[in-house]
Amino acid sequence: MSVAVQTQEADAAVERQTMEIDIACVGFGPAMGGFLTTLTNAWGENPADPAFESRVAPGLPLQVLCYERADDLASGVSGVVTRGKAIRASFPSLVPAEIPMATEVQRERVLYLLDPIGASRRSATLRLGDAVLRSACSLLGVKDHAFELPWTPAFLQKHGGLVLSIGQFNQWVASQVMASGFAQIWPGTPVAAPLLEGCAVKGVRLADQGVDKQGVPADGFMPGMDVHALLTVLGDGPVGALGQQLDERLGLPAGHAHREWALGMKFVLELPPHTPEDSPLQPGTVWHTFGYPEPEIFGFLYVHPDRLVSVGIFVPSWMSDPARTAYRYLQHYIQHPALWRHLKETTLRSWGAKSLEESGLRGEPFLTGDGFARIGEGSGSTNMLTGSGVDEAWSTGVQLSEAVVELLRTGKPFTHENLAATYEARRRSSEVQRRASEAQNARNGFHGGVVRGLIGMALAGLTGGRLSLGAHIPPTDKQIHPGNTTDDLSQQAAAMLAMDDGRPLHDALMSARGWPEIPFDGRLLVSHQDALLLGGKVQAMPGFADHVVFRDTGLCISCNEKTCIAMCSGQAITLGPDSLPAFEREKCIHCGACLWNCAHAPAGTQSNIQFRAGSGGLHSAEN
Amino acid sequence: MKPILVLTHADESGSALTKASLEAVTAGKDLAQQLSAPLVIGVIAVHAVAAASALAATEARILSVTGEAFAQARYASDAAACEALCRAADSALVLAPGSSRFARIAAGVAHRLGGVIDTHITALGGSSTVEATRWFYRQRVEGVFHREASPWFLLLEPGTQTAFTGTPGTVQVESVAVELPAPRTYVTGVRAASQGQQTIRPDAKLLLVAGAGWTKKQPDGQVHATEAGQLILGFLGNSGASLGSSKSLVDQGGEGQPVLPFLTHMNQIGQTGSTPRHAKGLSTCCHGEEPHVVGWRFIGDRRAISLDPNCGWTRGKADVVYIADAFQVIAKVNELLSVNKP
Amino acid sequence: MSTTYQIVVCAGIVPDPLQSLEPVTGPNGPGLKNEMVLPAVLDPWAASALYEAAHLAAKLPGSKLWLVSLGPKAKLQQVMMTIAQKVAFELVPIDGPIGGFTDAHATAAALADAIAALPGLDRTRLLLFGGWESASRGAGITLQLVGERLGITDQFQGVDQIDVREDGSFEVLERVEGGKHQVSTCAGAPAVLGWATGCLAEPRNNPQVGMANMRTLMPALQKAKPATLAANGLQYVDVHLPSQQRTTRVERDMTPEDIARELVAWIGAE
Repeated sequence: MSVAVQTQEADAAVERQTMEIDIACVGFGPAMGGFLTTLTNAWGENPADPAFESRVAPGLPLQVLCYERADDLASGVSGVVTRGKAIRASFPSLVPAEIPMATEVQRERVLYLLDPIGASRRSATLRLGDAVLRSACSLLGVKDHAFELPWTPAFLQKHGGLVLSIGQFNQWVASQVMASGFAQIWPGTPVAAPLLEGCAVKGVRLADQGVDKQGVPADGFMPGMDVHALLTVLGDGPVGALGQQLDERLGLPAGHAHREWALGMKFVLELPPHTPEDSPLQPGTVWHTFGYPEPEIFGFLYVHPDRLVSVGIFVPSWMSDPARTAYRYLQHYIQHPALWRHLKETTLRSWGAKSLEESGLRGEPFLTGDGFARIGEGSGSTNMLTGSGVDEAWSTGVQLSEAVVELLRTGKPFTHENLAATYEARRRSSEVQRRASEAQNARNGFHGGVVRGLIGMALAGLTGGRLSLGAHIPPTDKQIHPGNTTDDLSQQAAAMLAMDDGRPLHDALMSARGWPEIPFDGRLLVSHQDALLLGGKVQAMPGFADHVVFRDTGLCISCNEKTCIAMCSGQAITLGPDSLPAFEREKCIHCGACLWNCAHAPAGTQSNIQFRAGSGGLHSAEN
Repeated sequence: MKPILVLTHADESGSALTKASLEAVTAGKDLAQQLSAPLVIGVIAVHAVAAASALAATEARILSVTGEAFAQARYASDAAACEALCRAADSALVLAPGSSRFARIAAGVAHRLGGVIDTHITALGGSSTVEATRWFYRQRVEGVFHREASPWFLLLEPGTQTAFTGTPGTVQVESVAVELPAPRTYVTGVRAASQGQQTIRPDAKLLLVAGAGWTKKQPDGQVHATEAGQLILGFLGNSGASLGSSKSLVDQGGEGQPVLPFLTHMNQIGQTGSTPRHAKGLSTCCHGEEPHVVGWRFIGDRRAISLDPNCGWTRGKADVVYIADAFQVIAKVNELLSVNKP
Repeated sequence: MSTTYQIVVCAGIVPDPLQSLEPVTGPNGPGLKNEMVLPAVLDPWAASALYEAAHLAAKLPGSKLWLVSLGPKAKLQQVMMTIAQKVAFELVPIDGPIGGFTDAHATAAALADAIAALPGLDRTRLLLFGGWESASRGAGITLQLVGERLGITDQFQGVDQIDVREDGSFEVLERVEGGKHQVSTCAGAPAVLGWATGCLAEPRNNPQVGMANMRTLMPALQKAKPATLAANGLQYVDVHLPSQQRTTRVERDMTPEDIARELVAWIGAE
């Protein structure tokens, strides 16, 4: 008898449908794309190959079902630049023009952005450096308050790689997979829990439908089905419910922890039709920036075909300030003179955000066990030195798929031992692993300050990881330092002020800090809520329980930082009565930032916020 | 050059051509002149001679299929009639009104003659060849095209041409014999989908569109569906407007939510509803999202009342948008209109 | 009731109505920008036909239901996963091009061939269902052409209701001008019914039903026969997006009284 681990106590009396399948896949992202593409291609070589006959439904082809919580496979909003080696290996005749918004990387720049406003929280060292740059601006080529590095460090270079929209790429990959009729991909289908027998995974339980916000059965109650699978592939990303539950159940390998995060937030902008031909924003252009709007915030600008530009920032967990207000920071970022010169006439087309697991190898969970394997970002594949994760995630999917095909062909079951010998072995000997090892300590320095961090990163990058700085990395809740605000305004006071004013918390905090108000123009600079409506729309299918749950409300009431509210990408968490955060599922874009933006984790937990399985999220047609 | 054939049919009286048929006659005359081709008009009517009298001024050759069997609009008899007319006329280009009667059969007739057909034609152009214009993707994309195949049937969208209004007179009508299969279908009548003025009426100058906001919770936290219904019906009575609705409001009935009992899917405007033609349209309690607004393609002046200052209507989809509570505004409008009915 | 039917529903797939559409012209004529990655849905009218067919088949035990759909295989699977959650049917997929600019005559030929080849088809019990319009090409002719090709001469368009009688005959309500329904009785199958919205609410999605149904649909998808569609002399001269932008006057601060006065004057003006 297998047991579903569920955060909501499962009602033993509930009768659930069951289904027997061969492979259950959770989360459709680049890793699962790599897995399913490779598996489908292997099957396509000879669909009559008995290795691909279903073990659970003899006579039928292998039953492979993939479950995705988003309401559509194109709803992930994330522009990326990737070296694309593994992706190209899977699609040897890939023509980027066939994928909307895809193009080859043509030119790269790295810019250090000075603070043109004076509101940025800069250390004395940094201010000194800035002063030097400003005083010698003509000599050093400082223009528009930006200093361009004379070269792009090799570890950052993506030349010959791809600029992609992950949403469009996912759609494209899914359509290739589904054209075969081999694997099913089910959007709008959140997976609530793994079915466990001891430490073996026996399949997954789908989320209950027809329940109220608390998960109590209501009209049209439909208990989530138990899907029994011989192999469960976890690719549900860094904040996926299944991955989290397995980590809780199995723990992490010794010395591993999920302590380094960032929120990536981006706009998709459309350049005006009269953009001159000599504009530097030609398709394939890639800019990496650092230094502004805060020294800890890295930024990017990628130019897609058809006059579309992705521009965004990463707000890291090691930015100790509790006012992690990504949306407003992003608005200040695009107004930096070095960007604004080219972007001021653009139109906001879409917007989105996502959490990135930046622990790399240090956050790697157990990759395999009896009946399961983990791939993609949630398996620690993201490389934080090169700032890339898509191609790495894809690679892990390909590696698992090759392993699965080997096991199918040799008739071996999906045991821990067999999966370790095939999948883990492939992964350990791969380039992904080699580069991850180089990157392992690259960002340590940032926990001792930005300048130290940059030095550490350069050391690791230039020596292939042989040299790096050591660091003690505290848990995420301990990385938030309430004492860092530069004025006397407490978060709580700002929150009250925001409530009185009817403004979002992040706005109040930033204005209190001396950041100028945003001159809304209804086209490019729009309010946070308008951005939600403009490009993407939040989908929240009725009948699912709230997926953001506050464990100990007492802790929330006494919390002064309220970082979860400030950081919430969709303003889905607001300050409710009695100083309690209130969650509105209808506004949540599933970025998962609340999970690691809590300053008061109860003992033994990562956060006072639970991020469970939920349906929907941002649905953008133009991502 | 082969003649141009215009297919027409009579209205319920059996002795007068429908307005849409006369619109097709105008298009046929223009086209015949443009291409210097002879014009033939086919008439399907119980009393074909009477019906054809309106065509005296066209100076066209008139063919007819006549008899009681053609009082009924049904596939087997109408298709046979049109097939016979087409064969008698031997035309390479056939125009017909896009009425429900001809829309039912024209494709089948084209197939029987080895020809091709295009429908919902809103304009005919070109010089030496004919170029037809129509909408694709529910009034979202407009296309102009030409066909090499023959005969080419073109079903004209009603309301896109001026109806022919030449002086009536006696015309010579050539009767065409039709062999009918044994009938399996009988028309037993016509039923109004909903009562009185709560239907879409093409002749109304004004279209009132009710959106889902009418049955949503109002500022007092309550649903006021009864009051909403009274306000809407009051407005229709006072203004003579035709009533349309958004899909979301019509769908609420199926979801067990408060409904306006006089609304059915027949009232639905938009992507999955109709695209009526009216000089003016007033939207109330509706977001003005694209799938809905495509149903407004042929509405002239557009005004909207919405509580949402960011609704779709404000983004270039209406001429005037009033950010206001429709309950209050329509109540006032009704007061004023009841004193002074237009 | 002893009547049983073999119902074949012809249903195309169309872009999700929430998507922005932009026409582009390629080497094979006009199409939509990013057509293959636009999320697709079952055509709304055809979907009504399918739900009505499923309802009818359930009422008349022993009846059979096929869904014949022409579209790119990848898109078909995506759409079928949603549809399979609502109703059970046997799928006959035809792997062909998507889009509203393909020729309806060619589509009809491919559909008719596929229907004629259905194993066990009894044409005397055949009801051919589909939508009377579509959200892509929207010509409203494909179904009639399929019917003609199959030799069916009792056809109804804009159908909102069918009532089957004891003797196998049925009454049909068709939409006609003026918001009215024409009522007809037909002696029975074979017949073609092009549906408007019908009378049924859309069945709820049940993913669990869908996953079970997909088990039989997937092998059918894998075997989808490819079809190339002839142009039948169709040549596009121009395809464009009409300008939809109006200059909107937004009145934020008028009182209901002032708005009412302005509206009354507007309604009365010629």
